[in-house]
Amino acid sequence: VTRLVLAEWTKLRSVRRWVMTLAAVIGLTALVAVIEASSRSGDAEEGEPLEQPDFADELHFVHQPLSGDGSIVARVVSQEDSHEWAKAGVMVKERLEVGAPYAALLVTPDHGVRLQWDFGNDVAGSEGGATPRWLRLTRSGDVVTGYESSDATNWEEVGEVDLDDLASTVEVGIFVTSPMSMEIERQYGSSAVFEEPTLGEAVFDHVRLEAADGSPSPGDGEWRDYDASIEPGLGGSTESNGVFTLTGSGDVGEVWRPFGDDLVQTSLAGATVGVLAAAALGALFITAEFRRGMIRTTFAASPGRGRVLAAKAIVLGGATFGAGLVASVVAFLVSQASFRTTTRTPGLPELSLANPTVLRAVVGTAVLFALVAVLSLAVATIVRHPAVAIPVVILPLLVPAIVTTGLPLSVATWLTRLTPAAGFAVQQTIERYDTAIAPLVGLGVLAAYAAVALGVATMLLRRRDA
Amino acid sequence: MTPLPARRLRRALRAEWTKLWTVPSTPWLLAAAVALTVAGSAGAVAAVDTSQCPTPSECFEDTIKLSLSGIWLGQAAVVVLAVQAMSSEYSTGTIGSTLAANPSRRLVLLAKATAVATTALLAGVLGVLGSLVAGRAILPGNGFTRANGYEPLSLADGPTLRAVVGTVLYLALVALLSLGIATVVRDTAGAITGVLTLLYAFPIVAQLVSDPRWQQRLERYGPMEAGLSVQHTMRLDELPIGPWPGLGVLATYAGVALLSGLTLFQLRDA
Repeated sequence: VTRLVLAEWTKLRSVRRWVMTLAAVIGLTALVAVIEASSRSGDAEEGEPLEQPDFADELHFVHQPLSGDGSIVARVVSQEDSHEWAKAGVMVKERLEVGAPYAALLVTPDHGVRLQWDFGNDVAGSEGGATPRWLRLTRSGDVVTGYESSDATNWEEVGEVDLDDLASTVEVGIFVTSPMSMEIERQYGSSAVFEEPTLGEAVFDHVRLEAADGSPSPGDGEWRDYDASIEPGLGGSTESNGVFTLTGSGDVGEVWRPFGDDLVQTSLAGATVGVLAAAALGALFITAEFRRGMIRTTFAASPGRGRVLAAKAIVLGGATFGAGLVASVVAFLVSQASFRTTTRTPGLPELSLANPTVLRAVVGTAVLFALVAVLSLAVATIVRHPAVAIPVVILPLLVPAIVTTGLPLSVATWLTRLTPAAGFAVQQTIERYDTAIAPLVGLGVLAAYAAVALGVATMLLRRRDA
Repeated sequence: MTPLPARRLRRALRAEWTKLWTVPSTPWLLAAAVALTVAGSAGAVAAVDTSQCPTPSECFEDTIKLSLSGIWLGQAAVVVLAVQAMSSEYSTGTIGSTLAANPSRRLVLLAKATAVATTALLAGVLGVLGSLVAGRAILPGNGFTRANGYEPLSLADGPTLRAVVGTVLYLALVALLSLGIATVVRDTAGAITGVLTLLYAFPIVAQLVSDPRWQQRLERYGPMEAGLSVQHTMRLDELPIGPWPGLGVLATYAGVALLSGLTLFQLRDA
C-alpha cells in the first residue's frame, strides 16, 4: 500500500494542472476572505461601534433588604407558559443595578427547576412542569444555597453557589421574567426573522423571609417593586392577602444573540468557492486515467482495484487537506487582521488559532476540502466522466447556500441538513437562529456521503471493465 | 471581415447540429436540464405557503419568479452540454477533422454557437413550460388563490410573458457563455468548473459581504444574479438591476467569452 500511495502521490504532484488546481483551492478561498475583509473595512470608516454587554439583566423583582444571613422562601403557585425559558422564582441580588451579582432559584415551563447565578451559570434541579413548587434560597456568608420542595417539609438541595465578596446587606425577593421569542414571517419572497418580547406571569404565595436560625423574620415589612423589564411598563405586580401576581419580560443570564455575526465562519466562507477547485481535482484525479487509458497500466501494476482507489483517496485527501489547511489559516488571518482594526462583536471568545473552537473551525475547513475532493473522486469513479461528476458534486454543495434566502427557514434548514452542504457547518462558532446542524454532525453528514460514494465506487470499479 | 456565404454557413450549421445530436449524451443532458428545472421549480413552489405570511393577502410573493426558480439547477446541465460541444472535440481530437472540413474557424464557432443556443432554447422552452404547469397546479393548494389576490399563472400576462421569455433566453445565454469559456479553456473539467464558479460564486460572496454597496455591485454584475433579474415581476424598482439590463449583463459576459474564445481559436493551433 505504501508503494501505491507513493505512486499516486507522484502522479498528483507531477501534473502541473493538478498542482495549479491545489493552488486554486488556496487562492480562491483567500481571495474571498480578502474581498469580504475589504468590504468590511468600509464599515469602520462610517463608524458603527458595537458595545453591547454579553449578559441580560431584565426582570421584574419584588424585594426587600436582608441584612446578614437568612433565607427567602416562596411558593410558585402557577406560571404562564409564555416561553420555554420563562423564569419565575426567588432571588438574592447584591444591588438593584443592572449587572449586579445574583443567585436565583427558579421554575421554567419546559426546563424544570434551575439554580442560576452571575449570568451564565446554571444547575438543573428537578425536571418537568414543576408548579406549584416551594423554593428557598439561604444566604450564609458568601454562600447561597438553593432548596426546592413540593410540600414545604421535605426540602431537597439543588446546589450551592459561592458569590465572592457578597455585600452584607442584599436584596431578596421574588421575580418573573420571560425572554424574547423568535418570530418568522414571510413577505416579498423571503423570510423575515425577528424577535418579539413575551410577557411572563406567575403567582406566588407564602413569600417570607427567615432569619439565620430558620425562624420567620419580619424583614422591614415592606415589599418594593423593581421593574427592569425589557420594555418599561411591561412588568407589574399586585398583592392581596399574601398572594403576589407578577408580570415581567426579558431575561436574566447570558445573552443568546440569534443574529450575531459569526466572525470565524465569515472569515472562512471563501471555502464555498474553494471547494469548487477541490471537486474538480478529485474528479480529474481518476477520470484522467480513464480517458488516457492510463487506468489499465495502473491496474496491471497493481491488480487490487480497491487498494488503488484507497491509495488515490489517501493521497488526494492528504493533499487537499494540506492545501485546505493553508487556505483556511490564510483566510482566517487575513480576515481577523481586518476585524481587529474595525469592529468586534463582544461576547465572542478571543479569536485566535489557539482557541479550541476557532481551531476546530479552521482545521474542520481543511477536512471539508479533503472530504469534498474524496467525494468527487468517488462520484467520478462511478460516472467515469468529469463533465457529469463535477456538477453532481458541486450543485448539492452550493445550491442550498444560495437558495436559502428565498425558501422558508424550515425548508432551508432541512436542505442544509440532508445535503453534503451540511459539511460547511463545521465553520460555525456561535449558535444563531438559522443554525441548522451541529458543527461536527454536519461534517459527519458530508463524510457519510463520501464514504457511501467511495463504497459504491469500489464495488463498481471491481465489477466493471477498466 | 468578409461576409459569410450563406451556403457555407448552412453546411457548417448542419455539421455541428449533426455532431451535437448524434452523441448519446445530448438527449440525456437535455432531458436532465428539463427535469432539473421542473423538479426544482415544483419543489420551491411546494415549499412556500401563504400560511407563512402575516395574512395570505400580505405575502407579496412573486409567484412567477418562484415557479421558475428550478432554473438554478437546470442550467448546470445546459452548461455541461455547451461546454462538451467544444471541449470534447479537443479531448477526442476530432477538432482536427472539423477544421480540415471547414477551415474557417469563425464559421465553426458561429455554427457551434447556433447549434448549442438552439438546443438550450429548446431545453428552456420545455423546462419553463413544465415549471409553469407545475406552478399552476401547486400554487392554489398553498393558498395562492384568486381570493387571496393571486391570479393563476398565465402567459397572457405581460410581466409573466417577459419572465418566461427572459428565462428561456437566459438559458441560451448561459449556453453561449459556456461555449465561449470552453473555447478558451479547451478542457471539459476546467471549463465546467470555471462556468459554475462564475455563476454560483457571485451570489455566495454577495451574501457574505456586509457592505450593502458591495452587495449591490456583486448582484448587479454577477452573471447569474443579473441575468435572472428578468424573472422578477414585483417591486422592480428595488432590484439591483432591471430585468432587461440584467439579461444584458449576462449577454455581455457571453459575448466577451465568445469573442475571447474566437480570438484564441484563430490564434492557436488546434
